[in-house]
Amino acid sequence: MSAAAAVEASSTPRKRFSGLRGVRWRVDLGILPSSPSASIDDLRRVTADTRRRYASLRRRLLIDRHPPKDGDASPDLTVDNPLSQNPDSNWGRFFRNAELRKMVDQDLTRLYPEHHGYFQTPLCQAMLRRILLLWCLQHPEYGYRQGMHELLAPIVYVLHVDLDHLLQVQKPYEDCFNDEFDGITLPENNLFSNYKVKRASDWDSGIETENTHHIMSDSRSLDEIDPDTRDILLLSDCYGAEGELGVILSKKFMEHDAYCMFDNLMDGAQGVVAMASFFSPVVGSSTNLPPVIEASSALYHLLSIVDPFLHAHLVELEVEPQYFALRWLRVLFGREFCLEDLLVIWDEMLSSSNCRLRGDDAEYNFRVLCSPRGAFVAGLAVSMLHYLRSSLLATETTTTCLQRLLNFPQNPDTKKLIEKAKSLQEVALVSNMLPSSSQRDSNKGQFRVSSGYSLPSGSASPVPPLNVLPDGYWEEKWRVLHKDEELGEQSNSDQGSAKKKLAEKLGLYRTKSEPLKVKGALNRSSIRQILFDDVSSDIGTVENHVTTECCEAPINSNNLNVGDFPVVLADQRTSNWIVDETLLSGDNSVVFSKSVCPHGIGNEHEIDSVKSSVTSNSFLSDNDEEAFNMEEPRSQNASNELALDAEATSSRVADAVPEQRATPNHWKSFAGTFQWFWKFGRGSNEASRESQSSSDARHANKDSFDTTTCDGTDNSSGVNKRIEVGDKKMMHALRNLGQSMLENIQVIETVFQQEKGKFDTLDNLSNNILGVKGQSTAIAALKELRKVSNLLQEM
Amino acid sequence: MVLVLAIGDLHIPHRAPDLPAKFKSMLVPGKIQHILCTGNLCIKEVHDYLKSLCPDLHIARGEYDEDARYPENKTLTIGQFKLGLCHGHQIIPWGDLDSLAMLQRQLDVDILVTGHTHQFKAYKHEAGVVINPGSATGAYSSITYDVNPSFVLMDIDGLRVVVYVYELIDGEVKVDKIDFKKTANTQSAH
Repeated sequence: MSAAAAVEASSTPRKRFSGLRGVRWRVDLGILPSSPSASIDDLRRVTADTRRRYASLRRRLLIDRHPPKDGDASPDLTVDNPLSQNPDSNWGRFFRNAELRKMVDQDLTRLYPEHHGYFQTPLCQAMLRRILLLWCLQHPEYGYRQGMHELLAPIVYVLHVDLDHLLQVQKPYEDCFNDEFDGITLPENNLFSNYKVKRASDWDSGIETENTHHIMSDSRSLDEIDPDTRDILLLSDCYGAEGELGVILSKKFMEHDAYCMFDNLMDGAQGVVAMASFFSPVVGSSTNLPPVIEASSALYHLLSIVDPFLHAHLVELEVEPQYFALRWLRVLFGREFCLEDLLVIWDEMLSSSNCRLRGDDAEYNFRVLCSPRGAFVAGLAVSMLHYLRSSLLATETTTTCLQRLLNFPQNPDTKKLIEKAKSLQEVALVSNMLPSSSQRDSNKGQFRVSSGYSLPSGSASPVPPLNVLPDGYWEEKWRVLHKDEELGEQSNSDQGSAKKKLAEKLGLYRTKSEPLKVKGALNRSSIRQILFDDVSSDIGTVENHVTTECCEAPINSNNLNVGDFPVVLADQRTSNWIVDETLLSGDNSVVFSKSVCPHGIGNEHEIDSVKSSVTSNSFLSDNDEEAFNMEEPRSQNASNELALDAEATSSRVADAVPEQRATPNHWKSFAGTFQWFWKFGRGSNEASRESQSSSDARHANKDSFDTTTCDGTDNSSGVNKRIEVGDKKMMHALRNLGQSMLENIQVIETVFQQEKGKFDTLDNLSNNILGVKGQSTAIAALKELRKVSNLLQEM
Repeated sequence: MVLVLAIGDLHIPHRAPDLPAKFKSMLVPGKIQHILCTGNLCIKEVHDYLKSLCPDLHIARGEYDEDARYPENKTLTIGQFKLGLCHGHQIIPWGDLDSLAMLQRQLDVDILVTGHTHQFKAYKHEAGVVINPGSATGAYSSITYDVNPSFVLMDIDGLRVVVYVYELIDGEVKVDKIDFKKTANTQSAH
């Protein structure tokens, strides 16, 4: 399908033949001409040609394999005897075909047993078998692989449904198509222009079927039918162009049509996504990976952009994408959805063009993402992962995670999935085109979105298993947070140049990634918005976020990989904290950001500037990624803890530096940030927060976490009222947890501050390793955060 | 497209150690649906080997067979054809066509497979076919000089049988093919 046609198709409100899936798919696959000016006759001619090709192919390949009878030149018997080991011999081919046939039959008998009324009938099975055998014989390099039959089944089904539809449409007009004139008695009044045909039998039995017999037969009346029906009738008129061979919805030639559609789907029709390549182990030229593996990694790449947290989690569990993606991709999600849903999904997928968007010499990261169709497939896969997000994050072992993935729930909200997939499609396309500037950035120890699906190493380790997170809750928060950051950035330019520059760079990087990266990438925000909207229904993981933050903060001070929230962040954390809070006010997303903020990016340059507070706004933006990640685990912990152990934390807090934080208003504002999950723009709080955070930082000690928690509790109560979130209690607990996380983070921060001297340049961050002492402190803080997260989990 | 292997007179281990390597490489499991063995294997190991090629194995007793439980004659039906199996040392004179035809009428079969002479023969007479697959190992015989290893593969397809003869001549496998058609089913093999 040409790009223009694709555009045209997508822009027209009603596509041509939208009621006839079979025809629509044929247009999408490129078999039928897609230009709107193609007349019915053109369609018929093209159809007839394709059918002729198939018929000749069939004749050629399925002739009796028996050695030719007498009269033919006798083949060389040493080659052509049944026991011949020679692969060229007819008999060899015969045996190979017999093998193939056996494999195909094995699969066919298990095809869609729930629709056995259609698929398991001998006629249908014979047709499917022939189509598959012929395709495999035509493409010996692929052979028959399990799963091809599942790609063929919806195609055949769709053609069958079209026929049913046609029968429905034709019913009132059936007399027009009736060729049996023998039994007809003409009406006595000789009004031919309005002929009522009554069959002899009807006449005899006296059946008055007035309704069915009043149809016009002349072309004048034909114009009176609505255009769709007329199209359908013309499509199936036996006397149109190419006669019966051109009848587009034809039972007789269903096999031919199905073969063409299947062939186009498998070959990709010179497009990018060729399903056949997914079945072949042959490595692609540019990637040295089998195409399906590459596609799986593209999927993970997209996931890492969209949802790094889930990505990190999956990588940590060593869930390689191809474990589940193989099945998803090879049958285009045929095994995950019921047939009706699948048809809708395929509608959407096939309507995306398969043409390569840019020229052949343009760089790309993943071949499969070069076309809109491929991007849609990847987007749908990621949206499915996203749908399962909470349960996936809850799994703790590879097995359970895979179990969850391989048993996709029965009735997902398909529409939602598709919409999300469409939005992700754009992301995928964009991300694929940009040369990996992310690589550059990641070299700085930031978010490492690798083009492979392997995550950077350090991210995995200390992340505690997370509880069920509502989808995108934290993304929402993040987004809100980031929005604030942007606002904040504009207002504050203290941290100024260095950070900004870094931010810029990161922003670049960010533009490719999903919500996590704030830097005003418009598409980001739009995407985020979408995710946000999706998520807005999911409430209540505030605590998760908080916990996440807490947990993450102490992690990996040394490792500034994306997945990790380098503890180093702690340095900036304070400022980040503040900034986060600010952001939070602006953004619903990462309330926890108050605690988290230590985004890797921020860390780098932040270390020096840490306390600078306001400027931390810029950090926030940079740190968002990190913070986000951090936030999530932390929030979880936080929520857990909040739920169960608010008291405990409070008690711990008691030791801390109560006086520092004690000020209720301090905490209140702090707690207020929680609320700012939902609200926008509390710039005023920034200042207060900043000061507080600075003071906090100064006084930060290990116990400060506890204090924070304590105070947080106080604040939370005050804040409770303001919480719009449904679950106030959770909010409360969450806040407490958040507080404790903050504490922990601050502790870590302190540690880092101590080490601050070592951090000379931004670039050294990744190389900086906390001193042993600092590390132990950080680890202790980390433990605290973990506890918080556990609590949150239990919540 | 039923493939039936006719093989016999291997005389392993007494007169020959094993099948020729080229024959062995051709006989792979999975292609052949039935095996008709004329006898004189002589030991159980050969029986097992043939069984591994195809589970449907029919053996007639030869005079040197160590397993005494094989029958003297055997008949079976494959597709449209009735096949008969006998070793042939019971038919006097050995290898005489008329005597074999008598046995064929007696068993009432369309295709009679016998051995013992260690020489490939395929006769068509009246409404029947007599096939002698010879000796698959080329074991020496008291009545034949210059025994070439040989066996027969029949391809039964409806009313037509194609007989492929595999002979090892001067170290090379030579294949020959003979077509037989059966007349309508109602006629008995007289």
